[in-house]
Amino acid sequence: MSEPMTVLFVDDEPDFLQTLLKRMRKRSVNASGVGSGEEALVHLAQSPADVVVLDVRMPGMGGIETLRAIKKKTPLTEVVMLTGHASLEVAREGMENGAFDYLMKPVDIDDLLYKIQDAFHKKTIQEAKIKTLNMMLKSESSPTG
Amino acid sequence: MINFRQIIHKFFPKQETVDTVDVDNLRLVFRERYAYFKQLISANNKALEIMAEIEGALQGNRPFGMAFVRACVTSASVSVFQMVDNLQRLAPEKYDALTPRFNAISQQINAMMGRERKALDERLVIVLDDIDKDMVDLVGSKMANLGEMKNRLGLRVPSGFVITAFAYDRFLAHNDLKAEIDRLMQSADLDDIENLYRLHARLDKLIVQSEMPPDLATAIRDAWDVMAAPHGPGLTAAMRSSALGEDEKGSSFAGLHRSELNVSGDYLLNAYKQIVASKYSLPAITYRLNKGFRDEDIAMCVGCLAMLDTVAGGVMYSRNPFDLNDRNIVINSAWGLPKAVVDGSVDGDLFVVDRHRPQRIVQREIRPKERRFTCYPEEGVCRLDIMDDALRHRASLEDAQALALAATAVQLEDHYGAPQDIEWATDQQGEICILQCRPLLQMPSRAPSSDSPLNLVQGDSVLLAGGITACPGIAVGPIHRVDSGLDMLAFPQGAILLTREAHPRWASLLTRAAGVITAHGSFTGHLANVAREFELPALFGVPDVLENLQPGTLITLDAGNRAIHAGRIEVLLASSPPKTSLMVGSPVYETLAQVGRLIVPLNLLDPDDAEFAPANCRTLHDITRFIHEKSVHEMFHFGRDHHFNERSSKQLYFHAPMQWWILNLDDGFKEEVRGKYIRLDNIASIPMLAFWDGFAAIPWDGPPALDGKGLMAVMFQSTANPALTPGVRSRYADRNYFMISKHYCNLNSRLGYHFSTLEALVSDRTPENYIGFQFKGGAADDRRRINRIQFIAELLEETNFRASVKEDNLIARIEGFEKAYMLDRIKILGYLTLHTRQLDMIMTNRSMVDFYRSKMQKDIRSLTDASSKESGAP
Repeated sequence: MSEPMTVLFVDDEPDFLQTLLKRMRKRSVNASGVGSGEEALVHLAQSPADVVVLDVRMPGMGGIETLRAIKKKTPLTEVVMLTGHASLEVAREGMENGAFDYLMKPVDIDDLLYKIQDAFHKKTIQEAKIKTLNMMLKSESSPTG
Repeated sequence: MINFRQIIHKFFPKQETVDTVDVDNLRLVFRERYAYFKQLISANNKALEIMAEIEGALQGNRPFGMAFVRACVTSASVSVFQMVDNLQRLAPEKYDALTPRFNAISQQINAMMGRERKALDERLVIVLDDIDKDMVDLVGSKMANLGEMKNRLGLRVPSGFVITAFAYDRFLAHNDLKAEIDRLMQSADLDDIENLYRLHARLDKLIVQSEMPPDLATAIRDAWDVMAAPHGPGLTAAMRSSALGEDEKGSSFAGLHRSELNVSGDYLLNAYKQIVASKYSLPAITYRLNKGFRDEDIAMCVGCLAMLDTVAGGVMYSRNPFDLNDRNIVINSAWGLPKAVVDGSVDGDLFVVDRHRPQRIVQREIRPKERRFTCYPEEGVCRLDIMDDALRHRASLEDAQALALAATAVQLEDHYGAPQDIEWATDQQGEICILQCRPLLQMPSRAPSSDSPLNLVQGDSVLLAGGITACPGIAVGPIHRVDSGLDMLAFPQGAILLTREAHPRWASLLTRAAGVITAHGSFTGHLANVAREFELPALFGVPDVLENLQPGTLITLDAGNRAIHAGRIEVLLASSPPKTSLMVGSPVYETLAQVGRLIVPLNLLDPDDAEFAPANCRTLHDITRFIHEKSVHEMFHFGRDHHFNERSSKQLYFHAPMQWWILNLDDGFKEEVRGKYIRLDNIASIPMLAFWDGFAAIPWDGPPALDGKGLMAVMFQSTANPALTPGVRSRYADRNYFMISKHYCNLNSRLGYHFSTLEALVSDRTPENYIGFQFKGGAADDRRRINRIQFIAELLEETNFRASVKEDNLIARIEGFEKAYMLDRIKILGYLTLHTRQLDMIMTNRSMVDFYRSKMQKDIRSLTDASSKESGAP
């Protein structure tokens, strides 16, 4: 079954990234990948993603910083942190900055896909909600009753 | 982001009915709430799984490292964070008290995890003249003992200096290696030897390619210049690992780290990095993992010692490692560097010395020594075949030297107050130099027979006999021959390792092998040391063994009696004692045990108790229990409190209205219902239907008299008739509540004395599938009710649930099976819910209990058989 969602994978380890992309595409996920936080922001500015899967420890702009930047620009984009860095503090920082989940490598590919789907589900609900709110606010401000 | 909840009240005021509001909007609100709830439930599951994993690991039967501990702690904490967050979204402000509790527990956990080794002395190098045994934490035990022998005992040891633990920290920090090492360790599957090998290769490359901090490079060069000055040009060094943690609690790390011999001055810095990298050699990683060492505790110190012009060298034990009562001193000796003996590549000469004065040699075995290790004139070490027949057969040690060595062994044993394992060498002048001493691990088992090989265990089954016991014990397995790294990768779990030399490079196989047999090597070598630490039966130096044992042959190795038997000899196996756990008590184990106490125990049991509150949550488990309970409550009451008919509970209608109340969370009904009742055929919830199937499958025979109205009557009667349901009465008490969606159901039922909850998530996402079942059986002082709980727990365990009973609480769980199997388990719970009713009445009657047990086992089989036939399963 094809998923109507787009997912961006961000990881500085090229081998890992390529394998992940290949396996996700096999599962019919519309997946792209970049190797750094900076590239992720450039990529997202041009082609928005529903869900971003983000490594934590990367040279240059780190994962948490990238997460903050994404959440600031497009709050509805859901971010799943996927990392080899099991740290209680970093995990909390991620969650407090609005990450959907903080998963640790090695991760089962199907478990990861489920998480991405759940994150996407959350995003669609948020979007529907905002749409409804906008409509309501519009009808409230319109003079006709 | 717009705060939807603040605006909700605008169009969703509590006091009004909502018929005026667009139903679609409301459905959206409920969909969102359900999404929060689902995330909460999924996080709850993850948290419980991790707790089970921690409990499993704490049984101590399998090795795990700090990467595992950190991953457990981090995921448990992330899951609980998600639960707190989602509950606070379901009921804003109501549960704010959870946040400080969660923060406090997290901080406690973090403090335990963050316990770090701190170097107290900031010297990068320290000369051996300034070192004694109290400086173990700065220079490692190997170098601390060398300094001790030199400065406090006046023994002859090589001159030199140590590159300290502080220098190691400096090297790691300079290259930001710590986090990267942790990351690689975490991502690797440490059960798989190929992955281990890849991990080792990556770490090795990472470290060797790292840059030396300039101040460290300068410090090493300066120390070398000072050391080399009196020797003149041409001095070379022995660079020897001296890691922290070595020789702690019977852990020798023997031969697992690298030593570089005959290193020239220009190559010191490279050799340093090679030795640091050897912390991640395959044998070292495996060893630390299996003995529960925390990676971060093992700082690699490196000794830089003047190379000796060695004539002979070897190892000496101040006692017999296999026999506490044997006080003789044992010396193994070979030509050239002691490396020949510790690497197990040469069968060295053996001297046994009676320690009592006057000391005398009681046994002397001069073996043909095929090879010797010597230094190249420029750099590196060379292994030479000994061609000279006279040299090969001559004793590598004179009697006087052997006696002098023995005297030193006694001196060292007296000084340290424990038996010692000593590495030594003799120089061209015949003088003895001590290179290392460490505690000797003595095994409690009996000594191997020291009789001649002819007196070994007799019998038709003996294939081969002889050799030297390196570690006594019995092992059974197929022979697997290893000559190269490639053979290592193919090594099957439980095979018997057969190899030419007892080289420490094979140490990484000792956790997979059942036993070890070699053609060469002695019981004083490094591999023998490690085998003894792992209590792995090992027989070394067995003559002609390579020619006579075919790979794949099943054998029984009796290492203590130096015999190899064909096939599996049960009598021998039965006599071998069980191995002790290496994990229990280790630093990694203790860390997990400590943080586990803040994660795993459950203190909040009874939701009706006044103590059931955030302030009383002492563990992460308590928090999850509290949140789970409250989230169900919040979900259940939201629709009713907001007078939204469609998301208020409906009464189940099946031939007649039942006392079952059902709340649709999302897609639990086939079509929306606005009236009071929901018909069974409109239910879409897969797990709820399975429960119903089990509940309705087999009519209930009792208790005592049944008026013959059949199943429906019983169900109606027992859930509505006050006579059958005495006890506490509340609005909650006489109803069964279901919350359902297509793949989820949560059942709360209170039938008379007992209270049960069932929660299940079942879909094609197999890894997310789970069933949780709780049963609280009434008054805790009633023996019969507790017996009933035990009875139910046993039935559930027979059907693959994990069940535990605490007081009058039964908690059972199962997870991760595929859909059909899970639905069968739910059916079983449906069946038990009906059929264990009032069973407490007969719990004191043994024959009645037996009768009901076999009846129920039979019923359960028929329930699950029927569905496996339907689905076409075998």
